[in-house]
Amino acid sequence: MSASISARYQAGAEVRLAPRPMTRERMRWYVDIQETVQVDDGRIHAQPPTIHDDDTYAKKQGLPGIISDGMITTNWIHGLLIDMFGPAAAGTGRLRTKYIRPIYEDQIVITAVKVVSVLDNERKETVYTLEVWCEDDQGQKLTVGDAQVHQRHA
Amino acid sequence: MAVGRYTTDLEQGDVLGPIEYTMSKFVVREYCHANELHQACYQGAEPAFAPPTLVHLDKLKLYKVACPAGTGPTARIHYQYDATLHAPIPVGVKLRVTGKVAERFEKRGRTHVVMEIDMRTAVDNRPLVTYRDTIIVSYQSASERSAA
Repeated sequence: MSASISARYQAGAEVRLAPRPMTRERMRWYVDIQETVQVDDGRIHAQPPTIHDDDTYAKKQGLPGIISDGMITTNWIHGLLIDMFGPAAAGTGRLRTKYIRPIYEDQIVITAVKVVSVLDNERKETVYTLEVWCEDDQGQKLTVGDAQVHQRHA
Repeated sequence: MAVGRYTTDLEQGDVLGPIEYTMSKFVVREYCHANELHQACYQGAEPAFAPPTLVHLDKLKLYKVACPAGTGPTARIHYQYDATLHAPIPVGVKLRVTGKVAERFEKRGRTHVVMEIDMRTAVDNRPLVTYRDTIIVSYQSASERSAA
């Protein structure tokens, strides 16, 4: 591999999405989609109470209230990768996310990607290695991880 | 082997599936809508591929088949998503998904379960996504649960 001279993003570049509150609705959208995807009949299907949409159930599990499903922030990170790299972000590569702090109702979440390295490979691809994360409005990280995106040369 | 009971009972070495299904346009658009993925590649009339994050819901499909008794007494907490992407997930093509419990271990009083999920095309066995999913069986540790 050798350093690319035609990369759109250079190492060190950082891209952030606008802050989003993790509302009760956002949490429920993800709850509702789970059974909906499994049934796959063109309609929405709800599921029994979860720690993501039912305060009473969440408290019974020892939580102070509902928390977001980690896949929401993973999908927000994926969305930012699609914004940055297009369909290549859904092709060859990797995405790893770890949920290091619970995200509570109405907590502000900022999605971010930082380019760690940019290299060309022998398959005529530019390989972006990335640090990815979500943080709150105090800069405290909530979800952390890394990604690799392979973008074919035009 | 814990297959056939609660998902929280799954043990190292348990194999779930395989299951087969065809990725639909409805699933791609609706899943992306729920996750605010409004990009044209996902919300157009003819999406060609699915977001790779959808592989996570294959875990629930595998659970449903292998563990019909459901979640069990405690709600699991998702801890890590780790997906290696080999090729885009095609829409309208039959897929085959298999799960295997790779690890079950204790850390700081909490039980962690790692499941490896392999997604391929059903017809020609092309690898699409290799996914490693880590959950914590319960938010509370065993001692916290017994004290509650």
